Amino acid sequence: MSTLQLLGFGSTGWGALLLVATLLTLAVTATALAIGAVLGTMVAAAKLSGNRLLWVLGHAYTTVFRGVPELLIIYLIYFGGSSALTSIGKAFGYEGFLGLPPFAAGAFAVGIISGAYQAEVYRGAYLAIAKGELEAASAIGMSARLRFRRIVMPQVLRLAIPGLGNVWQLSLKDSALISVTGLAELMRTSQVAAGSTRQYFLFFIAGGCLYLILTSLSDQVFNRAERRANRSMPSAAMGKA
Amino acid sequence: MKITTLMLSSAVALATLAGQAAQAKDWKTVTITLEGAYAPWNMTNADGTLGGFEPELAKVLCERAKVECKLVASDWDGMIPALNAGKFDIIMDALSITDERKQVIDFTIPYAATPAAFAVAKDSPLANAAGTGKTITMTPGQTGVAEIDALKTAFKGKTIGIQAATVYAKFVYDNFADIATIREYKTGADRDLDLQNGRIDLGFDDAVYFETAFEAANGALGFSGPQIAGPIWGVGEGLGVRKADTDLRDMFSKAIKSALDDGTVKTLSMKWFKTDVSPK
Repeated sequence: MSTLQLLGFGSTGWGALLLVATLLTLAVTATALAIGAVLGTMVAAAKLSGNRLLWVLGHAYTTVFRGVPELLIIYLIYFGGSSALTSIGKAFGYEGFLGLPPFAAGAFAVGIISGAYQAEVYRGAYLAIAKGELEAASAIGMSARLRFRRIVMPQVLRLAIPGLGNVWQLSLKDSALISVTGLAELMRTSQVAAGSTRQYFLFFIAGGCLYLILTSLSDQVFNRAERRANRSMPSAAMGKA
Repeated sequence: MKITTLMLSSAVALATLAGQAAQAKDWKTVTITLEGAYAPWNMTNADGTLGGFEPELAKVLCERAKVECKLVASDWDGMIPALNAGKFDIIMDALSITDERKQVIDFTIPYAATPAAFAVAKDSPLANAAGTGKTITMTPGQTGVAEIDALKTAFKGKTIGIQAATVYAKFVYDNFADIATIREYKTGADRDLDLQNGRIDLGFDDAVYFETAFEAANGALGFSGPQIAGPIWGVGEGLGVRKADTDLRDMFSKAIKSALDDGTVKTLSMKWFKTDVSPK
């Protein structure tokens, strides 16, 4: 069978399946990024709060989830989580199997890790805001909430974009590890196709190319977002050019 | 008084609920797992569906057992613990019925019984070891078999690749661990690739699986030594079910019996294996 046939969309081609898998990888990464944004914001807020206990909790979160292998977290949530859920179910008289579906478990696991990195990105962005601006906002009588909405939030978002682009790429690559849960994302589908056709070289190269397409396309999205966010900041824009 | 009645009635309701959950299911839908990477027993098609001997047989069996079946692919290693955890109801993955496995799960009657053999690269000096083309019968734990002793001499110092957690892995460990290096693989296909590339010298697996693997390798691989058949692999390959699901086991045993009796298994076997694998 020719290479073109194997990668094509005919009845013997794996093209359609690879395409679906690529979209699934994209979906699981986007979900993970969203989960990570919520967790990351909370952790960053905890670390910046000035409260000793919250700082310790936030610091523990970023230390643990940046310091433990991603694969371990995925195993912990997918396999450990289902046995924990099943035993909780048993305690309530339900005899069957309870567990997170692979997509949810995978997105959650990658999201937790992504959250640890995003927390640092948001914290760095907040600290980069000029102190004088915050003081000026308070001086003209803005409440803490208004100051957050008008001064802090827009600047954190602008300053966080480059860092978020990095976190997105990390999560995109971490998502390949979800293949161990049996979710037919890009990594697993490449593996299955390689094993079934015994064309290991061809399908791993194809999988690699699809990952590269995803990362370079998303790179462009983040670059564009960065340029847009900086459109009123001539000095920052000049730095980019 | 009122509160006591309420508490009592809710306790009764809870007990009833728990009692219902613990009762046997009335099997309308059954989830069957396969590896999807063990052609021609079962494999993944280019459109992502499962095909091969077992998916087609499963369709027949489910029709006869009058249940709706869902086929899901999962990794071979960890299949038995996952069955017991309740992730699916039946394992259909060329699973040999052995006494060791019977300690943790239950089996239907077998729908196939196949021999096993060694594979080598065609250009290897180990090709055509003594007994190639012959079939010998072995019983569990049997030692002092002349053909096996001859292989032990021929394979001294070589590396044998096996798929982890299979009956074939156990056989190789029992008989060849003292003279050869053993390497475990997650799937048969990974092992075959290493065999073809020369990273290992020999592979050991189900013989009908190898026939298909040899075709895929365009004749680069072949058998070496005799085909080993008989009770050493248990009574054959059957469906694995949880020990508690005796009703499910009996439903499918009945379906297998009828498919064996009317020749359906033989027809499917000739289609996929080009030989009859029905248990004799």
